[in-house]
Amino acid sequence: MTENDLSEISLRDGSEEINLKRCSSNATPAMAGLPSITHPVPLPATALPPVGAHAAEPAPAETEADSAPDAQTGVTTDEGLAAIRSPMVGTFYSSPNPDAPPFVQVGSTVDADTVICIVEAMKVFNEIKAEVCGSIERIVVADQEPIEYGQELFLVRPSS
Amino acid sequence: MFRRILVANRGEIALRILRACREMGLETVCVFSEEDRGSRYLDYADRAICIGAASPAESYLKSDRIIAAAEVANADAIHPGYGFLAENADFAEKCRSSKVEFIGPSADSMRLLGDKAQARTLARRCKVPTIPGTDRLDEELDEKELVDLAEKIGFPLMVKASAGGGGRGMRIVRSPDELAPALRMARQEAEAAFKDRGVYLEKYIEHPRHVEVQILGDQQGGVIHLHERDCTLQRRYQKLIEETPAPSIDARTREGLCKSAVRLAKAAKYFSAGTVEFLVDERGRYYFIETNTRVQVEHPVTEMATGVDIIKAQLTIAAGQPLAYHQRDIRPRGAAMECRLNAEDPSNGFRPSAGLIERFEAPGGFGVRVETHIHDGYRVSPRYDSLIGKLIVHQPDRTEAIRCMRRCLREIVISPIKTTIPLFQQIFEHEAFVAGKIDTGFLDRHMKDNGELTSD
Repeated sequence: MTENDLSEISLRDGSEEINLKRCSSNATPAMAGLPSITHPVPLPATALPPVGAHAAEPAPAETEADSAPDAQTGVTTDEGLAAIRSPMVGTFYSSPNPDAPPFVQVGSTVDADTVICIVEAMKVFNEIKAEVCGSIERIVVADQEPIEYGQELFLVRPSS
Repeated sequence: MFRRILVANRGEIALRILRACREMGLETVCVFSEEDRGSRYLDYADRAICIGAASPAESYLKSDRIIAAAEVANADAIHPGYGFLAENADFAEKCRSSKVEFIGPSADSMRLLGDKAQARTLARRCKVPTIPGTDRLDEELDEKELVDLAEKIGFPLMVKASAGGGGRGMRIVRSPDELAPALRMARQEAEAAFKDRGVYLEKYIEHPRHVEVQILGDQQGGVIHLHERDCTLQRRYQKLIEETPAPSIDARTREGLCKSAVRLAKAAKYFSAGTVEFLVDERGRYYFIETNTRVQVEHPVTEMATGVDIIKAQLTIAAGQPLAYHQRDIRPRGAAMECRLNAEDPSNGFRPSAGLIERFEAPGGFGVRVETHIHDGYRVSPRYDSLIGKLIVHQPDRTEAIRCMRRCLREIVISPIKTTIPLFQQIFEHEAFVAGKIDTGFLDRHMKDNGELTSD
């Protein structure tokens, strides 16, 4: 699988099936934090969780985030850092191509137009810009990790 | 058979599909918008992927993000549910060319049947009755030619805007001398509302019933019907109650409708679940109006009467398996009825009633089925359709089904938000509805502004 750069394969022979999944060697496994795909999550227990535990807190109807196509960028965390979030669903790539060094590292300075990563979907590679000025404090996701809309990619210490 | 299904929808229909997949041993992925984050039905899926912000245009309608989610999750098929992208032929095509199966018909048959004009032409070729009418009227026609056309159709008829729809841009004409002024006004209104002066004539079906036929087709060309549903109880062209069998139509009409639906579906090379809709007039004559190339909200009504799980059938059909049933295997039993539970206030112009559901109690008992994603503590969003659940009953006959539904409508609790339950309580006591003698205009004629129903 490593030779052909495959991360997951599925082999079926009649009624028998084998699924193999490879974890990247130098980063957290691609599916970290998500329920294992081959073992369905058990049905919710009959006792209801406290009221409000599952209530989807609605975003205020007028947020600009709803009308703008981009995910919310620049939402500050407790440490005064700004999060750069993915505006799309796809696979995260930290470098322009496998042989090149990553776009940014911890400590890199970025401005609004700095390309910080690529998110690939449906064979199209999209360059993602920082849209914030500052320095990279933390890289939250791993190379080749699948990501969802709004997922935190980087934490930036804003310069202003 | 597929290994992993991506559900590209939300709420009650997403939950319905997730349950069917679980029973079939299929893994599931469900997409969600920021607004639906944390919803309990998402826990039923093996995995959930956020695809965008609250508004449907930013999430549930984003084809590329949905297909990307199928890619990152390694799903081999997408179920679109109903609404959103379910009848979007471009989306179906994009899925398949990205090597993800689309659980629904072919893009071609979707386009053919989704185009009202093409569907009508196909219907006529299959000897399926359509509403007598003209194409877009030539503006050069003189008064005599127009009256001739009108008389061929028969009065009363309607002048309709070509660019209109959903009840807009229509005028009734009851006699030849009303025709010319009606056409003049209709053209003016069409120009103003739709920037298109085009109009056409169509026979006006008075006091129609809306009767539709559920069909199921496989990729080998087999098509069967699962009998009909009567969806006559509507408000402004939105269905509120559906039932089977259709009351007040005779066996000959029923057979004609069902056979016509199958002929049309076969001619369109349709497969998966679909519905062919008809209007039936007071004399039992039926007319094809349109097809819905998706699974519908009201599919549980047919499931109860026939015992066929339509969602599971869609999955097996999409996986390439032939239909598991011959037409002779479909033998409906009893009567099934469904109420669509909407978060709306019928005493206040059906104003949407979003907010926190503090208390939800589903009714139970023999022949009672509740399809909903709501629960104590669920917050109904104002961003999406107001349908929050469906209450279905199945009993040996219509009288018992009505009694059962009355009992369930007293037992069900959804509070403190407002719902259409009080309206259903009245409808199920109304003599015309109970007698099975209503038409599509019933509610609009009998509802007062305060939400009360007047008797006949």
